[in-house]
This record gives sequence, C-alpha cells and structure tokens, in this order.
Amino acid sequence: MLPEIGHFALILALVFAILQVVLPSVGLLRANFALAQLSKPLLWMQFFWILVAFAILMNAFIIDDFSVKYVANNSNTQLPSIFKISAVWGAHEGSLLLWALILALWSVAVSVFSKRLPSEVLHHILIILGLISIGFLLFLLLTSNPFERLEIIPIQGRELNPLLQDFGLIIHPPMLYMGYVGMAIPFAFVLSSLIRGQLDSTWLRWSRPWTLVAWAFLTFGITLGSWWAYYELGWGGWWFWDPVENASFMPWLVATALAHSLSVSEKRNAFKHWTVLLAISGFSLSLLGTFLVRSGILTSVHSFASDPARGLFILIFLVLVIGGSLGLYAWRSGRWSSSNKFALLSRESGLLLNNILLIAAMLSVFLGTLYPLLLDSLGLGKISVGSPYFDAVFIPIMIPAALALAIAPFLRWKQDSTKRIGVLLRKIWGLILLLFIAALFLTDNIWVLLAVFLFIWILTHSLWLFWQRLRQKSGINLGFIGMILAHIGIAVFLLGATVTTQFGVEKDIKMSLNETKIIKGYNFVFNGVERFSFENYQGFKGNIEVFFADEKITTLTPEKRQYSTGMPMTEAAIDPSLYRDLYVALGEPLGAGAWSIRLYYKPLIRLIWLGGLLITLGALFAAFDRRYRLKISASEL
Amino acid sequence: MIYAWFAFMILLSGALVAWFLRHPLKDYGFDLQKSNIALGRQKKLELQNDLKLGLIDADLGQQAQDDIAKTLAQELTQSQVRVRENRPVPIWLAAVLAIFIGVFSLLIYQALTPKFTVKIPTKTTQLSLEESAVKLQNYLAEQPENAAAWQILGLKYFELNQLEASLNAYEKAYQLSPKNPKLLVEYASSLAIKNNNDFHGRPIELVKQALMLEPDAPDALYMAGLYAVSEQEFKLAELLWRKALARLKSGSIEHKILLDVLAELSELTNKTDKSVQTVEHLAAGGNSIKVMVDFSDEILSSRAQDFLMIYAKAAVGRPMPLAIVKIRLKDFTGQIILDNSNSLLPNNTLSQAGEVLIVARLSSTGAAFRQAGDIQITSAAVRVKDNPTVNLELK
Repeated sequence: MLPEIGHFALILALVFAILQVVLPSVGLLRANFALAQLSKPLLWMQFFWILVAFAILMNAFIIDDFSVKYVANNSNTQLPSIFKISAVWGAHEGSLLLWALILALWSVAVSVFSKRLPSEVLHHILIILGLISIGFLLFLLLTSNPFERLEIIPIQGRELNPLLQDFGLIIHPPMLYMGYVGMAIPFAFVLSSLIRGQLDSTWLRWSRPWTLVAWAFLTFGITLGSWWAYYELGWGGWWFWDPVENASFMPWLVATALAHSLSVSEKRNAFKHWTVLLAISGFSLSLLGTFLVRSGILTSVHSFASDPARGLFILIFLVLVIGGSLGLYAWRSGRWSSSNKFALLSRESGLLLNNILLIAAMLSVFLGTLYPLLLDSLGLGKISVGSPYFDAVFIPIMIPAALALAIAPFLRWKQDSTKRIGVLLRKIWGLILLLFIAALFLTDNIWVLLAVFLFIWILTHSLWLFWQRLRQKSGINLGFIGMILAHIGIAVFLLGATVTTQFGVEKDIKMSLNETKIIKGYNFVFNGVERFSFENYQGFKGNIEVFFADEKITTLTPEKRQYSTGMPMTEAAIDPSLYRDLYVALGEPLGAGAWSIRLYYKPLIRLIWLGGLLITLGALFAAFDRRYRLKISASEL
Repeated sequence: MIYAWFAFMILLSGALVAWFLRHPLKDYGFDLQKSNIALGRQKKLELQNDLKLGLIDADLGQQAQDDIAKTLAQELTQSQVRVRENRPVPIWLAAVLAIFIGVFSLLIYQALTPKFTVKIPTKTTQLSLEESAVKLQNYLAEQPENAAAWQILGLKYFELNQLEASLNAYEKAYQLSPKNPKLLVEYASSLAIKNNNDFHGRPIELVKQALMLEPDAPDALYMAGLYAVSEQEFKLAELLWRKALARLKSGSIEHKILLDVLAELSELTNKTDKSVQTVEHLAAGGNSIKVMVDFSDEILSSRAQDFLMIYAKAAVGRPMPLAIVKIRLKDFTGQIILDNSNSLLPNNTLSQAGEVLIVARLSSTGAAFRQAGDIQITSAAVRVKDNPTVNLELK
C-alpha cells in the first residue's frame, strides 16, 4: 500500500505545483495579496508531499519491497544497508525524484531566507520555480514513475551497479544535483525580472548569494565526481572529458562567469544584458546535461535511461525553457537603461575579460561534446573527440584567464592606469621572477614550468592583496576572503593537475609471484593473490608491499570482485598523501600465479581536489558576506 | 483502505490550503521601490568604503555616486507602486479549492494507475515463486472453477521451469475459459517450449483460435509469425509482425523487440553465404585467432536471442578490445575468426598485439559493459603470432 501512497503523494505535489503557479499569478494580476501570498504555503506543501514520496521510496528499499519495479531492478536483500539508501538515487527514476526534491528544497530555502525581497518579487520567483517543478513532476509521473509495481513479484532483486556501491555515490549525486538545480534560482530571479520588466538593483543584489551557493555545490559535486572516478574506475584518471562530465562542467563555467558578472551589474550597473543571458544559459546547460544523461544518447556509467520517450520529453522541456526565456528576453530587453561607462583598463574590463574567456572555454567544451553526437545522429559517421582536442583548445583559453584573475582584483573600478598597477605590483613581480628562476633548476618540462609559474603568480598576488587589505583593517570581509580562497583554489588545482599529468607514471605490467617492480624509487613487491568473500560479492585480493629506500611504506590490497549477480569490479588500492599517491589495480590472471597489474605513481594529485574544496569554500564564504545579510529595517525605508 | 489514506491526504491538503487562505502570511511591508531605495543607500555606503580602500579613484568617486543616483532614478521610474487588496478570500473559494485538489488528484491517479490489477502484498516479506504456487494451489482446492487463478498458476509453474505442471494448470484454465485469447497464447507458448520451440500441432491451433477471437492480438500475431518463419514463410511472417507492430505502443519494450525481430528477418532474407564472409576475413591480412565456443543445451534453447560477443584484449594493458565480433547466439555457427578486420581502431589492431586474452560474453542487452545476468568466460593468454585456436565453454 505504501508505494501507492508514495505515487499519490507525487500527484498531490504536482497539483500543488500547478496551484503554486495559478493562484499567485491570479493574485498578482488582480492585486489580491491573499491569493498571491499562497505561493509560499503551496510550495511548502508541494515540498512536503515530495518528501513523503521520497521517504516511502527509501523505505521500500530498506524493507526490500521487490513488488516495486524500481527497487527490484536496483537492490537485493544482500545489498549492504547503506547502499540500499543510496540506491534510491542510483538509477533513473529515483535520481529524478531526488532532483524534484532538491528543486523543492531550493525553492523552500528561497521562500524562507528571502525576507529582504519585496513579497511581490518573491511571488514571481516562486511562480517560475513552480513552473519548473511542474515540468519535472510531469516527467516523473508520465515517463519515470519510481513507484511502478510489478505484476509478478520476484523472489530476489537485481544488483545495484557495483560501480555505484560506494561512499562516493552516496554524496556525489546529491551534491551535483544541488548545483545543477541550484542554477534554477538565478534563472527564476532573472525570469521574474523579465516578466516584471524591471531588471533592478533588487534582483541583482539578492540573486548573487543564491548563485554563489549553487556554484559552491556544483564545484563540490564535480570535485567529488572526479575523486570518485579516480579511486573507483580503476584507471587512475581524475578527468576523462567524458560527455557526462562535460555536461556538468559547462554549467560550472557559466556559473563562474555569472558569479563575477553579477558583482559588476550589482555594484556598477553594467553588463546587465550579459548577466541575464548567463543566468538563462546556466540553467539551460543544466537541463541540457539532464537531456544528455537521461535521454540515452550517451553511453556511460551515468546513462541510466535509454527510453526515447524520456529523451523527447526533456527535449521539449528544454526547447520550452530556452525558447521561452530567450523570447521573453528579446521582448523585454529594450526597456533597460544603458550601462554605466568604464575605461579599457578597469576592474569592470578585467571581469569582462574573465567572462569572455570562461564563455569561450564553455563553447569549446560544448562543441567538443555535441559535435560528435550531432554527426552521429545525422548519420554522417562517428568521430571521437577526446583529450587531444580539449587539451589543445581549452588550455590556451584558460592560461590568459589564470593570468588575468590574479591582476583583476588590484584594478580600480571605472578606470585605472598601467603605471599605478606597475608601481603597486613591481615588488611581487620581482619575487615571482626569483621564485620562477628557482623552479627552472627543478625541471625542464615546459608544461610543469608553466603551471608552477601560474601557481606562484596567483598565490603571490592573492596573498599580497590579502596582506594589503589586512593593513587597511576595514577591507576584510567574507566576500573578500571567499575571493582569495577561490583564486588560490584555482592555483592549487592547476599545479596538481599539471604535475600529476606530466610527472605521473603508469605501468601496465605482468607480475609473477615475489617479483619486484621499481617506479620512481618505490619498490612494488607482488606477494600473490588470495580468494575472499564479502556480503554480496567474492573475488581476489592482491597483496603488494611497497618499499622506499629499503623501508616498508605500506601494503596495498587491490581487489577484483565478482558480485553475486555476476558483475565484475576492479577495486584499486591507494596509498594517499599530499605529495603523491601510489595506486595499484589488479588486471587478469595470466597463469602460474602471474597477474597483469596496473601500477601508478601520481604526484600532487590530491591538490586537484584540494583546489576544488578551496573554490567551494570560497564560494560559500562569499555567499554569506555581510552585505547579503543586512536587514532592511522599516526605519531605513 | 488505500482510498481512505488518499482521502486523508486530500483532506489534509485541502484543510491547509483553506487555512492559509483565511489566515494570510505576514507581509514584510515593503515594496520594490522601497527596496531599491534602501539598496541605493547601501551602494552609496559601499562606495564610500571602496573610496577609503582605494578601490576607486577619488576623482571618479563623485561620478560613481552620480551613477548610483541615476540608476536608482531609472529604477523608480520603471517600478510602480500598486495598491494591494488584503481582503480575505471567501470561504466558498477555499472550499472549491479543497474539492479541486481532491477531484483533480484522484483523476490523475486514475489516469496514471496501471491497467492490470496489482496484488498488493500484505506482508513486508515477499513470497517466493514456490510459496505463491502453493498458496494458489490451496486456493484452487477450494475454488477450482476460477480460470484466472489456474492461468496464474500455469504462469508460476512456467517460471519455475515445471513445464508439465504448467501445462496441466493451463489445460484446466482452458477447459474453464476457452475463449480467453491471452490464455490461449500463454498456453500455446508453454506447449511450444515443451516441444523444443515447435509450434506444429496444438500450439498453432491455439494461436489460430486466439486470432479468431481477437484478430489483432499482438502476442498471437507474434506467435503466428514465429510459426511462419519455421515454415520458411518469411513474407507471411513479416506481414503478421508488421500487423502486430501497428498495434503496439511506440517505444514500448514489445515494440522494440518486434522491430529487432523484423530487422533480423530482413537480414535473414538478404543473407549472403556466410562462408564468403569467412574467406573475406582471412583475406584481410595479418594474424588471426580461431575461437570455438561450446554452449550447454539449456543456454542454446533459452538464450538464443541473446547477443554473443567474442573479443580479444591485450593480456597486459588497457582492457579495450583489439578485435570484436558481436552476433546473436542463434546465428552463431560454433566458431568465429578474429583478425584485423574486426579491430576497432586502425592503429590498434590484433596483429600489433603480443599476448591476448579471448573473452566470450553472452548478453541479453548487447551492452558494451558487462551487465547483470551476462555470462562470460576468459581464455588463458595466447600469442597472436601463433594464429592459435581457442576453445571456450559457456555452461
């Protein structure tokens, strides 16, 4: 009976989403506050019923209710309890339900924490969010019902994809979805402004903290995904330029540009048109990512669904959202005042340059991701676009962006001079030069030298700026600290990504019993493989001791698992540290006790995720800056 | 009981909407104009701070201040203060909304609920197939005239692979309800499987009966098509399956299966001699590996439609296939030859490899990655240069 209640709760959520759009709209049109104010309670009820549905689905997994098709397809009695919970969003229907829940959660957060927004503006925003919610709830109910029952109940359920039976899956999708769906908030803010025909300070001021929080979640979600892929897929890679990864990276690039563009629009009344288009693009790319992942166009671990009906639904939704919002923009854009003026060398120009480079980078990823799909769908042949393309196109765009991000915070608003900047920064440029010359003695790898230079460049500028502000006392606030952290995060990421790519060592080798292989001074001794079994899998566990300068560092035990349903999995063993990771994965048995083994030495790889965490932290600091928490008191009005 | 719960959920929802309509939330009492004025003031304060920190040239400070004032003036011109009515909504509207929520949600539920009757389990622990069969038998001992229950029992036994018991149950169901097309098709299917997929005799008679009762029944048309193929009546088979296809919902699993079957039928009718292909493979140059795979009779009979993927991958290194052949099990003649013509990438061919492993995988989906239910076997490492023969068994 519970699944039927869950299904009905979803239907009630849809009914409330419809009412959330209709009643406040009538209220706003007829200036009837009693009807308009319903946007909040109707949203809360929508959230409540989605939460009920979600809890019921989770309960179905916990009690092994295989009469529910989704549970039977993605769980079994042997699945450890923790993965029964994460299995709720381990496949298509459940992840869509999680998506709807997170959208409702974001909306509730906006309704509760936007006390400084005029109620009329808030009602408009909640109406837009209600419209998006209708789209997702209809998608769930019409094509992806997670409560569908089976006519004949199986004795045992199927297996959750072993790749997804991991701590990473418990947190990666919810965090990524928080970011994806969070982009709906700036989108709703901008659409409400377009509908009202007023792109004013209120919209610009109050949409920025929401954008920053969404950006923080998106950053954290992508960082987690990269970390998960590294240790779970057994290839030792941290980014594959996989179309699904790109689908999350594109909105991240746009959200980064939007967070910067909003600050200029808000403070200096410039880039308004640009900001509007970025907010629309950010959410549109999030939807595009959903379309790519859910339509079955892509084949990867992320492609849960391959149902054309689902793809068609999302495509129509995408066309409506993008077409509708751009149409509204075209209709309303003529009403806004022109931007305030600024000189070629100014902070506004610096931020504009940052935006242009980020969007150029996004377009390069967009082209590399969609062009092969387009060719394939038109029957013009299959082409593969991988890291050679992205490295050749993306990196040259990001180098000037990295250079500019260190300088731009020193520039003055409206106008600055090269002379002033030269005088201000000549000391640290001297220091950077000295540090870089020292680095020349360490390596002759051009890419590593470039990365080291950019690392020193950004870090030195950021710390110098921080020191300057510290001396001025009144210049330190959460927004400023957030910016410094995020910029240092970029520098740390750049260094980690480049060094691990250039100096990482990868060996695919055959190892016999007691054989030793040496990589970068580390001796890997293969002590053989033993059989083992666990709750829902069994397999082989290797034993590899690692020595450095005759001292034992660690024993690594990579696994090759066979799940009870027959699905195989490679579980890498990693010895992590901030300076390097030692990574071992078992391949195939080659007879006479020998195995094929992958050994990796990954210098500074942890910096990649440390950089991501610093950017996340920076975005959160900026989102909670004092200026976004100032109360507008009645006396001030 | 379930509708009592629905009624409770509707009542709760309706009551909350009515309550919020009669007791509107507190308004914070400021409109867009006041908000923009307050923000304009804050921006001026922030500008003062920026001037103090040297983030803007002192000479341009006044200009920036004028910009803020100009922006505010424009915003005030654009926004209109609207007089808002705050009268409570009449009680009848609240009642109408509550009724609307109930009626609308129930209508949606009715429209979306699956058409088949679901037996909702009363216990959290599920019955096994055996337990279900025993329960049904007990029930039928008391209610032997229930044709639907006999039919379900037939299906349960069929799933338990107890074909004799399944056929007995179906026969009883047939005696009680001989004009049920769905039953006739299920019965025919079980009979045919019992006879090694032979539709001659009783099975095809039952299918014909089903088609007389319901000429457009897709499952009966499908069965009739299979019979036509076994009789080498390919045109007739295509006709029957196309007719069935027209009755199926586009995008449904059955629709997809039928499309696949039609595609295979088309291949079958246009198929050239396989031996010619084998010669072409050998002529492709470089080394080759002959792979022979033995299957158990059970697999051959039950998984004939599954995909068989046979590929070579490097014994040491990346597991990407160096050469791969993918066919349906029913089309597999017992051996295939892997060579450079089966390689995926021109610069990563079989001949370029040293030692390789040969993998044979049987998959219902044909997906590139191994899925639940797939069975697979991997050979020991062999040297490509030896042009070896590899024997594998999938049982």
